[in-house]
Amino acid sequence: MGMPEGIKISSYTLDDLLGPLNEVEEKYAPPKIFVSGDMPIPLPSPRCAVIGSRKASPEGLKASSEIVKTLVKRGVIIVSGLAEGIDTSAHETAIEEGGDTIAVLGTSLDRVYPQKNECLQEIIMRNYLAISQFPTGHPTQPKNFVIRNRLMALISDASIIVEAGDTSGSLHQGWEALRLGRPLFIWKSILENSSLTWPKKMLQYGAMVLSDPEEVMDVLPSRGRILKVAP
Amino acid sequence: MRLTKLDYGALLTYTPRGHSVKIQDAKEFMIALKNERFVEDPQNGKLVLMSEWIAKTIQRNITTLPFASFFQPNTILVPAPKSSLMRPDTLWVSERIASALTKMGFGNKVISCLTRNKSVPKAASSEARDRPKAIDHYKSMTVTRILSKPEEIVLIDDIITRGATLLGAANRLADAFPETRIRAFAAMRTISNPDEFNRLYDPCVGTIELRESGDTLRRP
Repeated sequence: MGMPEGIKISSYTLDDLLGPLNEVEEKYAPPKIFVSGDMPIPLPSPRCAVIGSRKASPEGLKASSEIVKTLVKRGVIIVSGLAEGIDTSAHETAIEEGGDTIAVLGTSLDRVYPQKNECLQEIIMRNYLAISQFPTGHPTQPKNFVIRNRLMALISDASIIVEAGDTSGSLHQGWEALRLGRPLFIWKSILENSSLTWPKKMLQYGAMVLSDPEEVMDVLPSRGRILKVAP
Repeated sequence: MRLTKLDYGALLTYTPRGHSVKIQDAKEFMIALKNERFVEDPQNGKLVLMSEWIAKTIQRNITTLPFASFFQPNTILVPAPKSSLMRPDTLWVSERIASALTKMGFGNKVISCLTRNKSVPKAASSEARDRPKAIDHYKSMTVTRILSKPEEIVLIDDIITRGATLLGAANRLADAFPETRIRAFAAMRTISNPDEFNRLYDPCVGTIELRESGDTLRRP
């Protein structure tokens, strides 16, 4: 892709973006984050990841769109990975609905994957926010997308898996969200597919079934990370 | 189960219902507690982890707290297991609170000797009829490490709803240590009726009782 004209990349630490991290959050936190876009730093809250299959079904895409519409109405920033399928639908719906979105890339900010999302990535880099832990020119490798999923879990106050097979990359994010103690939701229709093994396992480790997107609001913070307390 | 009644103490309160500013503030605090976030200590403006803030707040107010006697020099603090299974390196808020308390001089040490071997539904996100009972918790936990006759144990949890987790856990410990006095502490207690919610900081001592139906009754 190269860097489109007028787009600037800035580097931050995760503390700059999110505020101080606890020990569990620090474990896989990258030392530097590269960002491009138009969003205040530290990042505003609440932020919720909506993620899932690259080869999404029409039902999955519809569910993703409905979930994002509900969350955007409630002022939630939609985080996703700019992959094909559910991720693309999540970003596009957030933009169409007048909301905010953050794309967490598995490539450096000067590259694009998949190529068909070049235009969407540029829109996000200009008007919303694109984030990568990989410096400009960093080679794109499959493992980067797994690492990216951990970062996406860390950036999101909660994560929703809308549709995913047993080998989907979204599962890496799901497990990391559970490790971090962040709410992880599995969209209800995933449970209808009895051939999948991962949903049952993740439910045992603390994931929750999501039947109504409004339920997410119960677990999302409404403010930034730093709470002032004076009991 | 041996124990049908358990003494407990709690520092804070929140209610899941209601929309007043006070209620929203307490809910925000509950989310920060569940995520072990940083909070600003109003006494010195420094950022501290929520678990440390809980321990510091207890230390500052120890002379007036009704559960102060729970934390004796010989008391062993045992974190209550999460409702789900847990992989290594997972955030375990109860354990973080227990560790922060001992660092501040409350209790002798933390021993994480209770583990969950089968997940149970989360009380906070379940309908009342689906919430696991104390016996379900009891059956889903194991004591993994035998202590040498502790005199006193305080179970530590982040949030208490009806107390079923703590009563189930206390019974599991009572099987292993029948001579030991067992009590419980939760950083926060849930109040289901928003009209009964007064404020975030509302320390109390009370009891969790097992009813004939198998449900638990928490007072207050």
